[in-house]
Amino acid sequence: MTTKATSQTSVLRLSNIDKKFGQTHALKNVSLEINHGEVIGLIGENGAGKSTLLKILTGIYQPDSGSIEVNGKSTKFRGPRDSVAAGIGVVHQEQSLFTNLTVAENIASGSKVASRFGIYRWGQINRAAAETLSIIGSSLDPSTKVSNLSFVDRQMVEIARAIRVDSTMGGSPLVILDEPTSVLERSETAILEREIRKLKAHGSVIFVSHRLDEIMRNCDRIMVMRNGELVADRVTSTVTEDELFKLMVGHEARAVSSSHRVVAADEQPVISVENLSRKGKYSNVSLSVHAGRLTAIVGSTGSGREELARALFGAEKFDSGSIAINGTKVTGWRIAKAVKRGVAYVPAERKVEGMVGGFSAAENITLTHPGKAAVGPIVFPLARNKIARTWFNTLDVRPNDIALDLARFSGGNQQKVVMAKWLNSPELSVLVLDHPLRGLDPGAAQTVNEQIKLACSNGAAVILLSDTLEEALEMGDDVIVMRDGEISATFDMTKESPSTLDLLERMV
Amino acid sequence: MNLSQTWTSSIEVLSNDKASKVRRIAAKGWQAVGPVVIFIVMFAVVSILTPTFIGGGGLTIVASSAAPILLVALGQALVLNIGSIDLSNASITLLGAILLAMTLGSVGAVAPILIVLLVTLFGSVNGFIVAYAQVPSFALTLGTFGIFQSAALVVSSATTVYVTQNGQAVAALYQSGVAGLPMTFILGIIVAVVSWAFLRFTRAGLGMTAIGKNESGAIFSGVRTRTLKIVAYALSGLMAGLAGITIIAQAGSASPTGLGSDLLLPGIAAAIVGGTSISGGVTNPINVVFGAMTVALVPIATAAIGIDAQAQNLVYGAVIIVVVALTLSRSKNSIVK
Amino acid sequence: MANPQSSATNSVSVDTAAIHFSDKKSKASLFSRYTEPLALLGALVVLVLIFSSLNPRFATIGNLQNILSQAGLPLIIGIGATFVILIGSIDLSVEGVMGASGMVFVLMSANSRGGTDFGPWAIVAGIAMGVVLGLVSGLIYTRIKVPSFIVTLGMWYVGLGVATILFGTESIPTLTSDELAIWSSQITLGLPNIIWVASVVLVLAALTLRFTRFGRVVLAIGNNEEIARGSGLAVAYNKTLVFVLAGALSGMAGIIATMQLGSGSATVGSGNLFITIPAVVIGGTALSGGKGGVFGTALGVILLTTLNNGLILSGVSPNFQSAVSGAILVLAIVATAWSQRDRLRISK
Repeated sequence: MTTKATSQTSVLRLSNIDKKFGQTHALKNVSLEINHGEVIGLIGENGAGKSTLLKILTGIYQPDSGSIEVNGKSTKFRGPRDSVAAGIGVVHQEQSLFTNLTVAENIASGSKVASRFGIYRWGQINRAAAETLSIIGSSLDPSTKVSNLSFVDRQMVEIARAIRVDSTMGGSPLVILDEPTSVLERSETAILEREIRKLKAHGSVIFVSHRLDEIMRNCDRIMVMRNGELVADRVTSTVTEDELFKLMVGHEARAVSSSHRVVAADEQPVISVENLSRKGKYSNVSLSVHAGRLTAIVGSTGSGREELARALFGAEKFDSGSIAINGTKVTGWRIAKAVKRGVAYVPAERKVEGMVGGFSAAENITLTHPGKAAVGPIVFPLARNKIARTWFNTLDVRPNDIALDLARFSGGNQQKVVMAKWLNSPELSVLVLDHPLRGLDPGAAQTVNEQIKLACSNGAAVILLSDTLEEALEMGDDVIVMRDGEISATFDMTKESPSTLDLLERMV
Repeated sequence: MNLSQTWTSSIEVLSNDKASKVRRIAAKGWQAVGPVVIFIVMFAVVSILTPTFIGGGGLTIVASSAAPILLVALGQALVLNIGSIDLSNASITLLGAILLAMTLGSVGAVAPILIVLLVTLFGSVNGFIVAYAQVPSFALTLGTFGIFQSAALVVSSATTVYVTQNGQAVAALYQSGVAGLPMTFILGIIVAVVSWAFLRFTRAGLGMTAIGKNESGAIFSGVRTRTLKIVAYALSGLMAGLAGITIIAQAGSASPTGLGSDLLLPGIAAAIVGGTSISGGVTNPINVVFGAMTVALVPIATAAIGIDAQAQNLVYGAVIIVVVALTLSRSKNSIVK
Repeated sequence: MANPQSSATNSVSVDTAAIHFSDKKSKASLFSRYTEPLALLGALVVLVLIFSSLNPRFATIGNLQNILSQAGLPLIIGIGATFVILIGSIDLSVEGVMGASGMVFVLMSANSRGGTDFGPWAIVAGIAMGVVLGLVSGLIYTRIKVPSFIVTLGMWYVGLGVATILFGTESIPTLTSDELAIWSSQITLGLPNIIWVASVVLVLAALTLRFTRFGRVVLAIGNNEEIARGSGLAVAYNKTLVFVLAGALSGMAGIIATMQLGSGSATVGSGNLFITIPAVVIGGTALSGGKGGVFGTALGVILLTTLNNGLILSGVSPNFQSAVSGAILVLAIVATAWSQRDRLRISK
């Protein structure tokens, strides 16, 4: 590590922070130091451990081991309140302002002078807010309601709140900007970058972004995370974008040459999408997937691939463009129709959207496509159990208890059941998978991958939103890269063998 | 100051975890045997305190007054099962009873069928608005409650409507019976068994329970959540209509302030005492039978213990709050509205 | 690659919906800030014109005072209900609380059953009964996390039960002091006393919402409870306080209703819930919380009272009253929810 250990200027020091979630090792022995007046860039792929680290800094998670020092004093964050008291403020991607209150209230109502005997001191609040706003050079009127502000102005309010004056850090706050630019226009990004430079005079900044050029422009030091580890901590002037790419990805994985089903020239795709657009999410997306082929879509936060996947399943609307299944354009596309046409969707939010907790595994498996478990509207529990048992054996679900509440299985086994729910359809045509391996142990991940391949070789068209680039390269017959709502590259894996770096360069 | 805040908040977390565990166990136990046990205990207490209760046909009395409560509660249980509530069903019962009293003489035997169909339609309108306008069900059904209540007042001119002809045919439901239980109550049991089978053995029933347990999960599993919501409210209307028939069978008349005018809270209480979860996804219509009998026993029991029978409203209100509080499963950070 | 700009540089300018959305929203809220009360006033004017043409007795000073007298109770209750709805909860217990408080008041005043006359302390005790019931509701709601509509539905009947028990089995207690019995409808400076009381409550409530920490926290909780909790606001405490406030106001309304009736009755509050909640909702306070205020509620109450009064003067049976309120409630909630419809949004 290149960090100088000058304890006078050290605002925050983390030593050997470790955090596990079940079998997932989210943070491995992370140590870092941030000095007064520094802007730190934090980068890493999805799942590299950035967000866990931020949640520990903001007191939402507590580390399993390791220590946190603020201004040289050892401290523990038991909740968000402790972190705020230590002078750490976050500007989230999703904004956390009270939109029905004024700018001033959002910034300063937490301060001690804000009210006396329960009576609000509007004058004091407005003055304190104006003072904080002037520090970051904003001329917003403190008495404006937040709901009347533009997005970038709201972000200014968030920043002002994050550095509000009454922190105990001796006037040296640490502001964490979590992907602040991903929803901004270019001109607004410029404003934000100016603010970041002003902030340096008052405190320190951790700037999280997936746009490397922004990181290079704004940060003094750049920290790279990969697989829960802090793999690099470099002064900006000593690195190049290419080096950072490589650090983020680790080894430069190349596409493995596996057999790909060749499509006949006149073969009709199972699903074809033309110029699909949804304002602010994705635009002019065209792709088609043939039977027995798998298309992997990669992209970072805000690339629009999740929204696209949901649109294919009829869960979200699109503004223009068309979807065709087996050559016929769909109209009034919604989930019920999609399910009827054999489209399946494994959502990323397994517990909320993927399954019905409280129902047994057997009930979940037969909820959508009951097969022989139902004759017309009537359900036969014995037949249902038989189907469930078959799937439990095929997928090696444990514990081997089909009547157990699905909520009480481990994540990996839940995902197997979710897969079984869709695979139980005899007419599976399109399988859309949104991060199907998220949070799974290696064994379960392997089972799920095998089932995806099996469904594919049985003639389904598969669209996979993978967790990692390696996964995309390994599984995909085609790999599509999305950036800011548009397809930035398409690789036909039967003809090309791109590396993870090739993908990443088109993502950011 | 910060330290003490942290301290108290960590205590809160501890006690909340413990409390949620206690609640989970209480909820499970309650759903399994609670309704039966509490009915037997109350019945025994009343029998001991009032020896003439059993000899004087006490069970018949309880069953007769439980019949309309049971039917309303079964409909409520189906709506609670999808995670919503129907505050209008008791007013539908009363409107149905009044309409039946008015038409039984002139229209005859078809009248009950027509009226049950009509109120089923009323129920499905509730369901349609809840499903498609996505409004909070309590607010919507509070509004339609007012509309049905007014309708009852208007059609009856705020007076008692007596059945003029053909009353005997309906009254037979009340006067005849099996093993001391009037047919009105037997009707309730039949509806309960059918509802139970519907929920356990049909795709629609299972879909409804899925909505109550996790509506997002149900939507993403292709369950037709809107249609099923309408069906649940329609069934609530249908059962409210049947409850209206039992009122005519028992009283031979109906009025906006007479028998059955205060079924809303007993209905909800019976569903909840019968093990139905207020947050959705859990109900057993068979247990609701015992819930309804327990609720019907409340006025008799309070009198036997020596509490003024007038206080039964207080008991209903308190029972609902206490049972829900004991059996509700909520995580410590959930937002409750 | 569809966008040439995106291939040229890594930092891409995206037309994001978030920005347009917020812009649209800000315009809409500026717009609706003035249109909503204006629309209500407009509706009121239309009603007045229609009813005046239908019945010459409608547009008289006497009837105006009459309407204001009738608006007094729902206004007082509606102010409490506005606070409750602003935090995203609901209070269904008002009629029960009114019954209990009214009964305490009549039994502690000079009445036909004899007993001690506690004078003004009877009013204090009546309001205290409302405070206690509101406190119990608030505590069960915030500490045991029972949904507010269930707690207050139960508390509605608990209140009725309390009133019935207090009533007992003796004869109906009638207020013997004529002064008390006619006080609320007496005219002072051209307006009935009850509307003076309601106006004072209204102004205090508006000041509370604007100038006290409690009022601002109420708005913050209603806007986003999760953020409120994350910002270290005392969410449970303030929510409980809202229910106490609502209980106190319902208690006050129960006392006034009992004065108007002249005797004790458990069902003295009957029908008030049905005017109050629709009035709050059409007054622009959203059931989801955080948006609205007490002046809107006042307009809503006056509109509904005028409507009911006018209908009766036009010869419509009073039996239609709850249907009118109910239908308005349904229309109001559907109209508010319509724009937010989304297949994936869950509403219970």
